[in-house]
Amino acid sequence: MYRVAVSGINAVDNPGPGVGIAKGLKESSLNVSVYGLAYDAMEPGIYMKWLFEKSFVMPYPSAGEEPFIERLLYIKSNYGLDAVIPALDAELPLFIKSSSLLESYGVKTFLPTEEQFKLRGKDHLPKIAERIGVKVPETRIVTSYEELSKALEELGFPVMVKGIFYEAYKAFNISQATSYFNSIVSKWGYPVIVQQVISGEEMNLVGVGDGEGGHLGFLAIKKLWITSLGKTWTAVTVRNDKLFSLAESFVSNVKWRGAFELECMVSGSDVYLIEINPRFPAWVYFAAGVGVNLPERLLKAALDLDVERDWNYPAGKLYIRFTDDLITDISEFQQVVTTGES
Amino acid sequence: MGNRLSRIALNDEGFIFDPETGNSYTVNKTGLFILRLLKEGKSEKEIVKSLTETFNVDEREAERDLIDFVEQLRLYGLLEGKNV
Repeated sequence: MYRVAVSGINAVDNPGPGVGIAKGLKESSLNVSVYGLAYDAMEPGIYMKWLFEKSFVMPYPSAGEEPFIERLLYIKSNYGLDAVIPALDAELPLFIKSSSLLESYGVKTFLPTEEQFKLRGKDHLPKIAERIGVKVPETRIVTSYEELSKALEELGFPVMVKGIFYEAYKAFNISQATSYFNSIVSKWGYPVIVQQVISGEEMNLVGVGDGEGGHLGFLAIKKLWITSLGKTWTAVTVRNDKLFSLAESFVSNVKWRGAFELECMVSGSDVYLIEINPRFPAWVYFAAGVGVNLPERLLKAALDLDVERDWNYPAGKLYIRFTDDLITDISEFQQVVTTGES
Repeated sequence: MGNRLSRIALNDEGFIFDPETGNSYTVNKTGLFILRLLKEGKSEKEIVKSLTETFNVDEREAERDLIDFVEQLRLYGLLEGKNV
């Protein structure tokens, strides 16, 4: 029995990847008990007992490394913990920094290096694109109104205005762009990314890099229906050689280790790289569902077990997300609030 | 051949799925008929002939409809080469 903690169990309108990861792990060939790592007692994953045997409320990563690691070691010593699969952008720097420390306590991870993590940042996209030989939308990194207006002058409208970690808006004029800029700065700080809008087919690819230039499998999709927040609701598997060679070039050039998602725009015969996410996307269960169980493979890699690498999935498989509800007792919630665990 | 027709999936009801882009389309009976012949690599002349033999149309009308349809396919990126 392997005990694995998974974060991002906020299965809400902007869902974290945790529930999808847990579903993949539960369907794997390994005997896995999954723990949920939550930041709020209301995160739905806590109450999904069929996926998460136990859940723990974590201190925010911004509170520092020490309380965070202490909490993980508390879980380790009281309930056992063999590996952690972090799934939220904001906690990754901490996990990456602490991976050797965690390893020394017997808690395995399978994460990119700090350098790799920084390289995929939205502000480094043009640099990494040059390295892997792919097109990116014209991008400007702005930290002031002056730079914003200069970027808008150069790029024209419409234009994408993005936070360094989260949020992206399409602006059609200066006042919209300024308002998005202000809102993003107040929430996420500087810098803000201003990017040319590329029209075409939006396609995404999930994969796990092996850290040596190879990978443990890819799955590419086209989003068919998205929510007002831009989150995937229905999607279909595709097999697109240009997208695959982009992903292969990414893992081999960067020697990426761990989960990643490439967000791309395919316009005719051109593929543009829009974003690289350093973790599984919320739709990662799609991969497991078509026979490329990437959460399982990542866990096996973390545990130094033999890993499958085949990824010959069929095109034309459909992914449908749906909402669900469950009823439980207030005592469940009470326990999480008072003890920090379920 | 340089087009996507060779790889698209086509069912009897006229549902087309492009595995490379994830796009899907529907065509009517005539469209399906033409697509199947295009997939087989038939020439414009051969397709026009088949159309006049199968449907109640003269050669000119069949030719005009075929050109229209092929233009639509190009517009959707389903046909890139100049096979017709």
